[in-house]
Amino acid sequence: MKNPGNQTQAQRPELPKGFATETVKTIAVIAILVLAFTNFSAVINFVVNILIFIYTFVGKSFGIAIILLTVLIRLITWPLNAQQMKGAKAMQDMQNDKDWLAIQKKYAKDREKLAQEQMRVYREKGINPFGSCLPTLIQFPILFALIPSITYAIGSTPLSILKLSNSLYSFQDVASLVPLNSKFLWIDLGLPERTIIFGVGIPILALTVALTTYIQSKLTMPVSSTPGDQSAATARMMSIYMPVMLFLFSVNYASGLSIYFVASNILSIVQYALMGKVNWRNLLPGGQKS
Amino acid sequence: MRKKFVFITIILLAAVFLSGCTGAVAWPGLSASGDVAYLANTNTVYAIDAKSGKQLWKFSGESSGGIFSFGKSPNMYIANPVVTEDGLVIILDSSSKHIMYALDPNDIDLEKQTPSIKWKFSAVHGLWIAPPLVIGDRLFAPNSDGNVYVLDLTDGKSEKQAIETITVSESSKEEARLWSQPVTDGERLFVTSLDKSVIAIDLETYDVLWREDLGGAVPGGAALGSDGMLYVGSLAKQLERFDPATGAHEPVLDTKGWIWGTPVANGDNLYFGDVEGYVYSYNTAKGALNWEAQPDAVITASPLVYGDQILVATESGGVYSFNTDGDFEEWYKPATKGKAYTTPVIAGDFALVAYLESDYYLVALDTESDEKWTFTGK
Repeated sequence: MKNPGNQTQAQRPELPKGFATETVKTIAVIAILVLAFTNFSAVINFVVNILIFIYTFVGKSFGIAIILLTVLIRLITWPLNAQQMKGAKAMQDMQNDKDWLAIQKKYAKDREKLAQEQMRVYREKGINPFGSCLPTLIQFPILFALIPSITYAIGSTPLSILKLSNSLYSFQDVASLVPLNSKFLWIDLGLPERTIIFGVGIPILALTVALTTYIQSKLTMPVSSTPGDQSAATARMMSIYMPVMLFLFSVNYASGLSIYFVASNILSIVQYALMGKVNWRNLLPGGQKS
Repeated sequence: MRKKFVFITIILLAAVFLSGCTGAVAWPGLSASGDVAYLANTNTVYAIDAKSGKQLWKFSGESSGGIFSFGKSPNMYIANPVVTEDGLVIILDSSSKHIMYALDPNDIDLEKQTPSIKWKFSAVHGLWIAPPLVIGDRLFAPNSDGNVYVLDLTDGKSEKQAIETITVSESSKEEARLWSQPVTDGERLFVTSLDKSVIAIDLETYDVLWREDLGGAVPGGAALGSDGMLYVGSLAKQLERFDPATGAHEPVLDTKGWIWGTPVANGDNLYFGDVEGYVYSYNTAKGALNWEAQPDAVITASPLVYGDQILVATESGGVYSFNTDGDFEEWYKPATKGKAYTTPVIAGDFALVAYLESDYYLVALDTESDEKWTFTGK
């Protein structure tokens, strides 16, 4: 008598190397995101506590604390970012792959079949199509939590100090921390920044956010050798879209968040540079075409 | 490509939405003069007829100009409005514009239902959190920049300049935030600061007479007891007694939590709450605690003496009625939700309680705690 289990095993198509691991990773990231957003106040409290903990060790400077928190987040997510770069590169290389181009052409009018074939190619090459966005996604709870965390932690109104006291873990002595120093350079981190120049309030920090975001996206934009490369076109559009979005965001929110964006952009450039992925020629006019 | 834009836009919108999880940034300011209540709620100040609950006028300040409002941020009114002897209503914009407005309720734009601006004052560097104190023809305005600004109410200017700027603290301006209304004994002005100090200022010379450290920030104000002494609570969880003349002080009562609201004197008794939810009655003549009791939640508001009862509003939204022996009962609770951080006031015949995160901004209650009206701002 044949063993039915063995028969099933023999008939099952073999999974590509690393595919199961990628699936587990995807499920793990989704689980973490669900957990984070269903317990969002706990995430906020966690970030607030780290921020206040750093603040107490750096001579009560929130600006420095935010920058160090950014460095910390970057260090923790370094492997994820590296994986994101790897995933993005793999996806870009895929655009020039013979098999990939062939199925695009062959199943151009059958979207369902095309999707199936794309998944097949992904499996065969051991690529996780979500590989480039999962590391980014997992950072979102921290980014989202930063906004309220900075608002609480700076405590520019009575209610924010009260909320801060409710957020802090028992080992942190809020009473000794109050009043919190919300000033950094010329900026009140609890408010949107404006610098009055000739009677007009200029959002210098928000402009810096836009500029560093633009530079960061330009420097990290991969060079495309294929004319009409969709991913390169997207990257070019994103290098305009993101600075504008983040500028509008920074203009209206506590400037502490803008400090985070600027620091994060600079650190991102540093990380890309250390990994040899910075493309300095992109900053030059016409540099992308080369 | 479009999918990617949609994705990123959704992410940014989600960030904005989730940042809203912080809720409100401040609790409302509330005051009353005769039959009119004044409510400073987020970006609007309302004048409300206490008898009917009808809005008399509202003021939202000058337009912020939308998202491209360079040099400006949305208006924010959180300090208790103050009414001067000649009927002007002083309100404070707690946004980065730092403007103090004096509104003339006798000159209303009927179409907009908005009073005219009699004068403005904005030559300050910090947020307005504390209500000013009017003494005769002078106005004393503590600011989060650590200064008390003295204005002449009779100079007739539409753009006021301070006749005196009193720097009350020796610590950095970032720490010396003044968040509570000063009090006076007729000779001196007493100011409390988040830099943990209590300061006495000579009302005539504007000299700082003394400055004493409390060991904890003082978000609330000082109270003058029937014994002529000054009582101040702080985040150091202590009630301190000060000699107003010399500044000599000593702790007279340890509390369970931070003392946030200004103590209220009624005869020989002083009433106040703490953020652990305890209410205290302290006898200033005997120098002893009468009683302490714990209704249900954080207390930041000062108690309100209403007839023969003492009302205390808590973070749970409940209003508790205490008798002088410390017996208490839940006197009022909103039907749905709401947090009461603001000190209730009496306007006309009613006690008014302001709410945060509630279906209504304000509720009027008679002595039997019956709801007479609610105000939603609509």
